[in-house]
Amino acid sequence: MQVFKIPESMKKGFKYTFCPGCDHGIAIRLIAELLDEMGLQEKTICATSIGCSVFLYDFLNVDCIEAPHGRAMAEATGVKRARPDKFVFTYQGDGDFASIGFAESSHAALRAENLTGICINNTTYGMTGGQHGPTTLIGQKTTTSPMGRFKETYGYPVRIAEHIALCEGTAFSARVALDTVPHINQAKKALKKAIQVQLDGLGYGFVEILSTCPTNWKMTPEEAHERVKNEMIPVFPLGIFKDKTEDN
Amino acid sequence: MVSYSDKQLIKGNYAIAEASVKAGCECYFGYPITPQTEIGEYLSQRMYDLKRGYVCAESELAAINMVIGAVSTGAKAMTSSSSCAVALMQEALSYACSDELPVVLINVMRAGPGLGYIYPAQGDYFQSVYGGGNGDYKLTVLAPSNVQECIDLTYRAFYLAQKWRNPTMVLADGLLGQMMEPASFGEYPYPEVDNSSWALTGAKGREGRAIYSCARDEDEHNAKIRRLFEKYDLIAKEETTWEEFNTEDADVVLVAFGSMTRNIKAAMKVLRSQGIKAGAFRPVTLSPFPTERLNQLADSVDKFVVVEMNMGQMINDVKLAVNGKSDVKLVNRPVGEWLSVEEIVAGVKNIIGDKTYASV
Amino acid sequence: MEKNYIIAGFGGQGVLFAGKVLANAFMLAGKNVTWYPCYGAEMRGGTVNCEIVVSDDEVSSVHKQDVDCVIALNQLSFDRFISRIKKGGMLICNSSLIEEIRPREDISYIFSPMTDKAVDSGNPKLTNMVSLGVLSNEETALNVEILEKAIDIVLPEERKKLAKSNMEAIMLGIDKLVTA
Repeated sequence: MQVFKIPESMKKGFKYTFCPGCDHGIAIRLIAELLDEMGLQEKTICATSIGCSVFLYDFLNVDCIEAPHGRAMAEATGVKRARPDKFVFTYQGDGDFASIGFAESSHAALRAENLTGICINNTTYGMTGGQHGPTTLIGQKTTTSPMGRFKETYGYPVRIAEHIALCEGTAFSARVALDTVPHINQAKKALKKAIQVQLDGLGYGFVEILSTCPTNWKMTPEEAHERVKNEMIPVFPLGIFKDKTEDN
Repeated sequence: MVSYSDKQLIKGNYAIAEASVKAGCECYFGYPITPQTEIGEYLSQRMYDLKRGYVCAESELAAINMVIGAVSTGAKAMTSSSSCAVALMQEALSYACSDELPVVLINVMRAGPGLGYIYPAQGDYFQSVYGGGNGDYKLTVLAPSNVQECIDLTYRAFYLAQKWRNPTMVLADGLLGQMMEPASFGEYPYPEVDNSSWALTGAKGREGRAIYSCARDEDEHNAKIRRLFEKYDLIAKEETTWEEFNTEDADVVLVAFGSMTRNIKAAMKVLRSQGIKAGAFRPVTLSPFPTERLNQLADSVDKFVVVEMNMGQMINDVKLAVNGKSDVKLVNRPVGEWLSVEEIVAGVKNIIGDKTYASV
Repeated sequence: MEKNYIIAGFGGQGVLFAGKVLANAFMLAGKNVTWYPCYGAEMRGGTVNCEIVVSDDEVSSVHKQDVDCVIALNQLSFDRFISRIKKGGMLICNSSLIEEIRPREDISYIFSPMTDKAVDSGNPKLTNMVSLGVLSNEETALNVEILEKAIDIVLPEERKKLAKSNMEAIMLGIDKLVTA
């Protein structure tokens, strides 16, 4: 009996380039599994982003267009308007989605674009070496908040999934984590729904995934996942903040 | 008598908008800015009626990236904007050149720098031809001089963008955008270009494709940029176009682009009527620039007078083309009311020293 | 032979509309023509104008400093444009709203109470069309048939019913009552 296989939607012979303990790998695998299960690989076009998430096209065997920093939702909008029959999603970090691209992300939701947004929230700018970002927690030390983020100067972290849920065109918005097996299973369910609302033409589907960045957090993979549980989830509660499929 | 059976009096902005429709533009994305807003206004209804794509984007950043998304699928798409807002699109243009995507962008110039004002100007020559984005790249840039050319060059922009997989800009100005002239659309005169070898259509029966500018290998990166520039050389060889008038015997040749072309042609006639052997030269493609032809002309022409509504931008390219063989001078005004024929005539006479021709 | 016209007046006097009718009329008369509106800053203070350049050859330039003929529908336009008229040029004035004085001797004047005529005809909004009638007296290229066709081109489908009253106003302008 085969107990493990690489999803068909993953590239053959890809080289894994993420840091040990980084959750990008799990997130990408979940997406690949869903593309397989939902029969979407051949009709998928993905708008990738800038940051560690840019490497998505090294792993996923789907068509990808690389967007400038923050513009993934604009490019996805262009793809979807030109080819409404395709399944179109973005894969972005929190800086890309909720800082430099906050306007594009919010307006795509407000326009009720039939798109699926996936945002990896690891409370830092990972690729550039761990700077303070839009989701950095109060008290968190980063290379640009070495004394720890304090609200008087740095303001507050953004709760992305709640924000997107406020947009009327959003059909589904949830926050999930990948720190435990039950959470991973929940994450897959949420991702499936965020995909399904697009296929059903209900509007914008969004999932924020709480993730680790052991390298920049200066933690072991285990410690990093403890941090997700102990520090991130209390500030960024898991759950579904909007679900139009249940409204009906 | 001129026959107008197939012509209608139409504003430049509407001419561009309808030409894009006839060229097969499947999606328009834009953000309002004077003096080009009529393009988006017109297309909001027209694209809706035709069941094509239209989005009033949240910003110019979004608009140009929506175009990138749409054209990456092989669709024809465009955006339109004006100077200070085209500045916001420069990053995306750099990406689109690197990604080799057939973006079409209409720039109806207004006056800068900064917010400037909404009256016409030609201050975007550098921004368009040399680019405001990062890295080595070249747009293809076409500059219409009347409303009919707004149509013709919009058609050509869609074709060249597709043919060469290179972002192509129609560089008009507020004068052209706002003026009405008789013009006819005819049919889109170019063949459709097969883009099946690269367009993102879903990885059906093939490996997934990725269109990206991200480079991780220095050698590959160098090779890619050299290849891009070989393409630009080819574009220059095959697509460079210009117009010239009375250059055969000219002592002085007036050079202008866009709608200023009209004024230098009129000024040339006045100068000729006064016994001054004047010619006129007008690049239709600003990028690629007709460098070679200007260099040839410099063998027989004493002076080139570049007439621009800016502080002297295209004059740099004229100087590079002439390469020291002849004198190159500027008659200009930075912004606003177009230099009149009389002002140009006076400027040219001042430059050549009217006395030479006093006996005429 | 190239000639340019400026029509100027208050916002609401139908200046741009009259300009479009005139431009179309010249086009129908077989001329090359360019219509160019003021927009933005120029429109401050509520005055509107547009320029129409007509030529047998290609139209050279617009936004010209010197003008062959100005149609001024209000005093502000008279004051603003009188200095830009070429020597030997013409100033057509709506004497209902413009004082009948002739500050320059090197141009010709036509004064016609256009707004009064339009009011008498029952529609004060048609001052613009009366002015086109006045102009057509001076332009051999223009005639009633051409102007009628031009109005038809410019009026959008839902406003075609206004063609008749517009033509009536033009006829009032053609009827030479006050000229000088």
